[in-house]
Amino acid sequence: MEAVLIFVETKGDEIKKASLEVLSEGTRLAQTGRFAIEAALLGPAAPDIVRTIASYADAVVHIVDPLLDTYTPEGYALALADYARTRSPRIILAGATQMARDFLPRAAVLLACGIASDVTAARWLEDPITVVKPVYGGKVLTEVSCDGSPFIVLTRPNTFDITSPAQKTGEVVERRADLPAGSVKKRLLKKEEKPKGKVELAEADAIVSGGRGLKAAENFAILEELAGVIGGAVGATRSVVDAKWRDQGDQVGKSGKTVSPKLYIAAGISGAIHHIMGMDTSKTILAINKDPNALIFNYATYGIVGDLFEVIPAMTAELKKRLGASREASGR
Amino acid sequence: MNIVVLAKQVPDPEALIEISRTGEKLDIEQKFTTSLFDEFALEEALRVRERLGGKIKVITLGTGRAVEVLRTAIAMGVDEVLLLEHEAFLNGDGYATALALSRAIVKEACDMVLCGKQAVDDDRGEVGPMVAQFLGMPHVGSIVKLDIADNKAVAESLGDEGRMVVEVPLPAVFTAHKGLNEPRVPLVTGVMKAMRAQIPRATPEDLGLKPGEIGLAGSKVRIRRYLAPKKRSQVRLIDGDAQAAAIEAVRILMDVERVI
Repeated sequence: MEAVLIFVETKGDEIKKASLEVLSEGTRLAQTGRFAIEAALLGPAAPDIVRTIASYADAVVHIVDPLLDTYTPEGYALALADYARTRSPRIILAGATQMARDFLPRAAVLLACGIASDVTAARWLEDPITVVKPVYGGKVLTEVSCDGSPFIVLTRPNTFDITSPAQKTGEVVERRADLPAGSVKKRLLKKEEKPKGKVELAEADAIVSGGRGLKAAENFAILEELAGVIGGAVGATRSVVDAKWRDQGDQVGKSGKTVSPKLYIAAGISGAIHHIMGMDTSKTILAINKDPNALIFNYATYGIVGDLFEVIPAMTAELKKRLGASREASGR
Repeated sequence: MNIVVLAKQVPDPEALIEISRTGEKLDIEQKFTTSLFDEFALEEALRVRERLGGKIKVITLGTGRAVEVLRTAIAMGVDEVLLLEHEAFLNGDGYATALALSRAIVKEACDMVLCGKQAVDDDRGEVGPMVAQFLGMPHVGSIVKLDIADNKAVAESLGDEGRMVVEVPLPAVFTAHKGLNEPRVPLVTGVMKAMRAQIPRATPEDLGLKPGEIGLAGSKVRIRRYLAPKKRSQVRLIDGDAQAAAIEAVRILMDVERVI
């Protein structure tokens, strides 16, 4: 059996959604009988989190060290690479979060191994293992393979379905990384805390994005409200970010974030190629625009030619009605 | 302050790309530009030099049109350039490319390395962190603010969960994100100078590299095939006035697509 090492990322006292996805994919890989799944957790973590991870994996290694108490790419790369050397996994798998994309390339150098970042599909049983990675902003896909071991694969959030844990009780081992003093030189001065319950753009199941058609920064409130009702995040186009209506972190597109939600609602967005490159792999796209010739309709699954200032609030009201009713019916 | 910038000439985002019938190669319209994020890296290098003095060297890897990014950099006002030009350097993965670039950086004469957070052709985002690892330097990824003082940098980086401010001793590698600055447009005099400039070149041998370590031969991963993304079927327009269309849209998203 070949070993798969899954890097698990946490956020406060939760496992990140991108990590739950790769853990779920891990349980599916284990069912093939060809792979044994080990999850790796770096730095401080609550016992609850470790138990949850253990229910997905055959084994969990919790790697600790004073130098891992706060994230640095240097420390994480060193600790994970050191551990991988002792296990010789065939695959190191992680969700393509900002953190994973930050430190795993360094681990690839330490292990002198192959890496594929931002992968959207994988054929694990093929020899050699082959993954699909978009290039040129998604205009072209590449099939990438790696003969050597390990192959570090980072999958774009929302690539894999999340399943409930496999009810395993993987063995948990705590391991000291013993990182050499001075191997981490960076110091975190300040970390912005997002309001609790706010959904991250990159991993959101639903995104409501606004463009110039919103007309003013304060009008994004109607998108916030709709996003709130469906548990989604609010995104924005480049021109909206450049106009300082929204923060840089909200930008979807070539010079912003690449997202792949189940539902992407594009309100008042013309559909410039720069924007399309950041959201084209979304499952269902609903475009709302006054201009029937707007380019966005070429990329959308559904379209409403109309005034977003009427359509969005009407959708919010209808959703409140329907979701409220179903919640009452299910007694929640 | 000795600053190295790694930059890349890439196909224009609007350039037409055709995949050959067998999926073996791409036919790309000959429209090129500096990779978006590398422009922010170049601009930041110029701003650091304006504040603290020093020298900027820009390094790129490639043949043919690749040199154009160096001429753009000269036009913007950098001091030195270097082109890694040899058949053996080409078609490398992130690893092989980062190895070659890191060898071209003289560590002792480098206080900081700046590059874009990813090149907008391969979209890997691997080379910056990899160069840092090859050089044994710390790095800060996706920065939107950079302050240098007392041989230390305070950088603000954009993560999934928001902004982080970190302090790092130099030398260090920084990868630039949009929001770091507004890149300048070169002056005509700069462009004239750039057109006349002699471009220094380096071969693998110059960098002490064997052909097997770099480019396609030195790559850890291989591109086996190019594919076209799945095309979406034509948009289905939802008719009716705003109220009716909104109710119908909610019905479709909840009951048909089941994405809410």
